[in-house]
Amino acid sequence: MFSKALFKQSMKANWGKWLAATLSTCIMLAIVIIVLGNLGINDIRDSLSDVFTQADQESYLKENAIDSYDLYLTSVELEGTMQNLDNETTKTAYEYIIAPYLKNIEDYKTNNGGQEPDTQALEEIRNQTINDDILGNPMTWLVISSYLDISKEQATQLLNVVYDNYEQDKFTVEDAQFQTKMITLIKTTYLNYIYIYTYQTSLSQENSTETSAEYNAQLMQEMIEKAMQSYQAPVGEFDKTPYKETALSSVNEMLYNSTYTMYYDMYIQQGMTTEDADTNAKLYAVTVKVLSNTAISTYELWLTELGDVEGAQEQARTKASASITDQIPEKVAEALTELGNMDIYSLIIGSIFYRIAGLLMPMVFVIMTANGLLAGQVDSGSMAYVLSTPTKRRAVTVTQMTYLVVALFAMFSLLTVTSVIAVWVSGGNSFAINYAQILLFNLGAFLSMFAIAGFCFMCSALFNRTKYSLGIGGGITIFSLVCTILGLFGSSVVPSAMRISAMNFFNYLSIITLYDTVSIMGGTLSYLWKFGILLAIGVVTFIIGIFRFDKKDLPL
Amino acid sequence: MENVIKVEHLTKDYGEGRGIFDINFEVKKGETFGFVGTNGSGKTTTIRHIMGFLKAREGIVNVLGMDAWKDSCKIKKFVEYIPGEIAFPDLKDGTTFLKTQAELLNLKDMNYANYLIEKLQLDTSANLKRMSKGMKQKTAIVAAFMADKDILVLDEPSTGLDPLMRETFIELVKAEKEKGKTILMSSQMFDELEDVCDRVALIFNGRIIDIADMHQLNNLPYKTYKVEFKQREDYLKFKRLKYEIVRDQEKYNQVTIKVYTKDYNRLFNTLKNYNLKFIAEIKYNLEKHFKEILKKEYDRIDNEKLSQEYNNYQNQDKEYTKQQKKKEKQELIIEKNEKFFNKKKEDEKKEEDKKFEIDKKEFLKSGKKDKKLRLKQQKKEEKLKKEKKDV
Repeated sequence: MFSKALFKQSMKANWGKWLAATLSTCIMLAIVIIVLGNLGINDIRDSLSDVFTQADQESYLKENAIDSYDLYLTSVELEGTMQNLDNETTKTAYEYIIAPYLKNIEDYKTNNGGQEPDTQALEEIRNQTINDDILGNPMTWLVISSYLDISKEQATQLLNVVYDNYEQDKFTVEDAQFQTKMITLIKTTYLNYIYIYTYQTSLSQENSTETSAEYNAQLMQEMIEKAMQSYQAPVGEFDKTPYKETALSSVNEMLYNSTYTMYYDMYIQQGMTTEDADTNAKLYAVTVKVLSNTAISTYELWLTELGDVEGAQEQARTKASASITDQIPEKVAEALTELGNMDIYSLIIGSIFYRIAGLLMPMVFVIMTANGLLAGQVDSGSMAYVLSTPTKRRAVTVTQMTYLVVALFAMFSLLTVTSVIAVWVSGGNSFAINYAQILLFNLGAFLSMFAIAGFCFMCSALFNRTKYSLGIGGGITIFSLVCTILGLFGSSVVPSAMRISAMNFFNYLSIITLYDTVSIMGGTLSYLWKFGILLAIGVVTFIIGIFRFDKKDLPL
Repeated sequence: MENVIKVEHLTKDYGEGRGIFDINFEVKKGETFGFVGTNGSGKTTTIRHIMGFLKAREGIVNVLGMDAWKDSCKIKKFVEYIPGEIAFPDLKDGTTFLKTQAELLNLKDMNYANYLIEKLQLDTSANLKRMSKGMKQKTAIVAAFMADKDILVLDEPSTGLDPLMRETFIELVKAEKEKGKTILMSSQMFDELEDVCDRVALIFNGRIIDIADMHQLNNLPYKTYKVEFKQREDYLKFKRLKYEIVRDQEKYNQVTIKVYTKDYNRLFNTLKNYNLKFIAEIKYNLEKHFKEILKKEYDRIDNEKLSQEYNNYQNQDKEYTKQQKKKEKQELIIEKNEKFFNKKKEDEKKEEDKKFEIDKKEFLKSGKKDKKLRLKQQKKEEKLKKEKKDV
């Protein structure tokens, strides 16, 4: 069933082709992996994702500017409202906030025989008042939370401030200056609220530290205080217009200052000289100032444009705070996002090298060799020398098949070794493709070639003429490869900007489609059953070829 | 003697008259059997069947009592083969090729091979692809003969060899024959078959048309001589003697005569008294023999063709007349039909005319009746008017 002499003869006849195909493919593979490993092919992808982060930051900054601007104007309006507060309202506020506190102190005194509460006791009383009487009262909490966007914790903090301030100048409702004193108290509370609010938002921002947040909060507080002081029209409907310009410049200035401080500190910490830190921080601060200026102006324009439509403010805010990425069409943005997420390694090594470029030379080898092993020798007549010796036809086919499979196996073994070394050189498991994946790639490529070899061998065994064997075996194989190339443009590995989904049709015409590199890279297991089909195709075609060759007429 | 190769009713039809048809022959042990025939006559196809490369569609091919197709591998242990078409495997040089071939044959002793190489003056180190036709042929001869097996199947083994080499080759074949080997050999050269073969088959258009026994041909009971006389008188005088004259050329005073063995002495005694210009024996060889047979075959074919053509012509003629008759018949039928239709039409017309006349008469009659009635009414009315007036 096996002829050693014939095997040697086949080896001698084909070693040149084998060596050429193997070496060229190995060199190609090594170059592809090593060059990819050292070139930082994902730079584009990284810069793209940078663009997206920057855009997000920009959008956030703009939103922040608009919010501060709105807060400024609201605070001015609030100042107006507070100056016009009537006696009743201040009295109600006093009753709800100060009165329970005083009552609890009185209770303490009666319980402790007229003794004044010490600091610790006072704190307990405060906690009791805040928790039970104010925040524990749903009505009171509802009122507070409808005015101020704060949590209960923050409310506790604020109320403590209120009591602190009250302690300094204990006044009663009968006091002549009661209303002014009450309003000052509320104002102080409000400014404290602004401080807390800004501090929190600043902290949530990227690159910010506690110091910078504190600084921001302080700046904001000062700005709002100034804004409140600048209010002058005590009567009539509140008109924002005269304050807009001041609001704009105040916000710009504040953002400029805060950014400058933040970056200056950062640069100093990084070890820059004061001069460099200053220039660089200024550069950033100006950029931020320009951005906030643009955002607020756009916001104002949109507000006037939209008029009194419901939700106009929110709409204008969204439009004004839009970044570059928000302005480009959705599809383009999607494509860009996909491009940013694309894995170029698996595309080039898996889908282009292992399924197309790396298969070409082995394919040429298989087409030529498979034809030369049977059909070529029958066509030329040289098979007569083998068959005129006591060698069975079955022995001839089995030997030639063994040669073809062994040659392919040796070729892909070398390719595997090359690829593993190349991956090792490029950084081993830290490389985008790990050892397991590269081994699977090689196995898949070998199985694809095994199936193709079986098919070419079958053609070689079926036909007596080289032209038919080569034409059909080689023709269909090359057709398969070309279909894979065309199908690539329709496959999911190509980013949607370049993808033509109709081209995916070509993938159904190619045997190489069963070599599923996407599944290997993706870590799914669907490549396994496809490998099984490839193996089965190879085995079946080899067997058909062997049986057919036994029974046909040979023109020798 | 037992039959080594036996072919019975072997047929392989490739269509369009190509192929081999009903081939029958056997090669006995130790016999050398020749195959001769024109290009494409079926020699190689027959040999391929014997080698088990082609499967017989009909008939039996046996080698050493084994089926050539089924037991082709076993048979190869006893058969060495020179293919008609020389193409070598894709190997570097002759030495590599012969070594591989020896391995395939399981041959370890290369002495005989080396003897053959020396005898044929073959340079085995030459590149296989660049060898001349003769070199290739020599390599093929060595590859086949070196195994020293019992049966030799040689398909045109001497093509491409120069005349000297051909002689060496024939010596080789003769030596093999002397060893008692059975040889089947095809060739287009009559002389080499003549030298080596015991029997030679002539294949023509896929059929064996003659098998010549070389011993018989070489030992014919008569010989043919061509005699030319210097003088006309001698010529005329000789003609009067009772010799079988095959050909007579009066112009040159020349006769060709057929002389049986028993008449040799008589002839030479007679010729003593004549003044001869020359006397030559005309040899009867294989080539002549087959040419005569081929001529007959061609004549037969020509006759067949002629008769076939004649037949075809006659058939065509018959068919033509048949068609003519058919046409006539059809025409007759058409005429009949036409007459019938015409009659029918006429009848219909007549009937219609009759009907029309009857209708006319009736119409006229009814018209007269109306007139009478109208007249009667008028009269009645007039009567009534008169009566009124009267009243």
